[in-house]
Amino acid sequence: MSNNKGFVVFAQNNATVDYIKQAYALALSIKNSQKEITKISLVTNDKVPKKYKSAFDKIIPIPWNDDAKETEWKIENRWKLYHASPYYETIVLDADMLLLEDISAWWEYCSNFNIRFCSKITNYKLENVIDTIHRKSFVANNLPNVYHALHYFKKSDEADNFYKVLAYVVNNWAFCYGKVAPNEYQNWLSMDLSCAVAIELSGMQELVDVNSPLQFTHMKPPIQGWSVSPESWQDIVPHYLTSTGKLIVGNIAQDKIFHYVEKNFITDNLLRELEDLTNGK
Amino acid sequence: MKTVGAVIFAQNNSSVDYIKLAIFAAKQIKHFLNIPVSIITDSADWMLTAYPKESTIFDQIIKIESTSTYNQKRFNDGTLSSKFLEWKNLDRNSVYDLTPYDKTLVIDSDYIINSSILQNAINSDHNFQIYKDCFSLSSWRGTAEFKNINQYSIPFYWATTFIFEKTVDVKSFFTLVDHIKHNWQYFRTLYSIEVPTFRNDFAFSIAIHIMNEKTSGMFAQELPGKMFYISDRDLLISIEDKKMKFLIEKENYLGEYTAASVQDTDVHIMNKLSLSRFIDGGLGV
Repeated sequence: MSNNKGFVVFAQNNATVDYIKQAYALALSIKNSQKEITKISLVTNDKVPKKYKSAFDKIIPIPWNDDAKETEWKIENRWKLYHASPYYETIVLDADMLLLEDISAWWEYCSNFNIRFCSKITNYKLENVIDTIHRKSFVANNLPNVYHALHYFKKSDEADNFYKVLAYVVNNWAFCYGKVAPNEYQNWLSMDLSCAVAIELSGMQELVDVNSPLQFTHMKPPIQGWSVSPESWQDIVPHYLTSTGKLIVGNIAQDKIFHYVEKNFITDNLLRELEDLTNGK
Repeated sequence: MKTVGAVIFAQNNSSVDYIKLAIFAAKQIKHFLNIPVSIITDSADWMLTAYPKESTIFDQIIKIESTSTYNQKRFNDGTLSSKFLEWKNLDRNSVYDLTPYDKTLVIDSDYIINSSILQNAINSDHNFQIYKDCFSLSSWRGTAEFKNINQYSIPFYWATTFIFEKTVDVKSFFTLVDHIKHNWQYFRTLYSIEVPTFRNDFAFSIAIHIMNEKTSGMFAQELPGKMFYISDRDLLISIEDKKMKFLIEKENYLGEYTAASVQDTDVHIMNKLSLSRFIDGGLGV
């Protein structure tokens, strides 16, 4: 059955960020850390360098039109991942993540369901945190605390229906946020809030499952438990990759999934180290 | 048959008679936990002279060399009095080799057992047990500073009280603590510790972190409950019939205190001078 399972990542470069490069680093980290499911497909309309192509199972164009031509953050196409995925079972990841430990057990758990969202994060000290700083609208409207950056779906009627609702929310976000999340109104589109609103509209609250193992380390500086929040977490704690592929941040070995957030994290050196690990050097 | 017992370190300085505190702590251990207690000290001859009768409470008297290397630190005695004194705490890692027991409870001489809660830990199969969580009897002071060794770094563990069994892993742990102690400036820089003074709590915390492969592992099991403590800016009033009474420093009112008491609870009494006065037969105030 592992042939029908894989990761999917969406990458659409903008003027300042090379998301394709990030997706390539993610693909390498998957090859280095996963025992069973190592396939990853890239959904993009951008040119993928020849060197990167071999890391991906499939490179898939964004379905239908590019709805993000005019925007900087380019998230308007994200709801199409469900339709773009070539796999029966898919785990969606953000490009600015690295997989550091095997998550085969997560696949086993999730395969009991049609959709599962991550709703738990930690900081680099591996402390569970609830982000109330960036998620004021979630708190004010008592919305499910979901993260689109890490979720699972199985091709199914239930998932099909949910993504139809999500497509509606993304394409009519201002209206939907006004109706479902009027308090601390967020005047910009985000996939996390759109997913939360879609869950509310579709009445599928069970998608947020407290027993779900889906979890990642989120490196937004304000949730690291520091008295002063810096612009960049990399200014505060050092990090390095060990020869066995462990990522050490502030002397703490990071587990499972690391969402580094900052666009300058993937340096040429780090990419070379990931390539060496993949090639068994 | 495994042997089980407690050991207490006692190294006097010019103002604090740690031997006296250790004798009192040993009585409490015998009363509540009913296990033999040994003392590790650099002042054995003095103890036998000063406390010939009381020192018989110890199962064994283990002599160590008096060290010329020690830290200096401020010892507060309530909010209005303090002294800079020597602080001889550099031998804790040697307890693995010094203890006469297979399974050992190690406590500071100012950790006063006043319940049988640690009996559960002594009976447990875990090889290394230590306190991570703590509870300050001062409600306003909080314990945030003891959550991690600093805000950027790893979880904090208290070397004040721990239980270990002699195993290969635990021996490695103490070897690691020794290595950290001898390379303290390197490790304190690595772990962003601001104070230059060596502290067993920090060295233990770093060693546990390394034994856990630098992640949230299972090397150290937490002792039952939390480690209750009063700061050295608070005062002990009395210990009587499982009940301890204290005066806790008031926030923003220098020299004023609030009364507090606990029952059936072990407490780390950081004000050694106050504890000493109480043992001498008076109130600790």
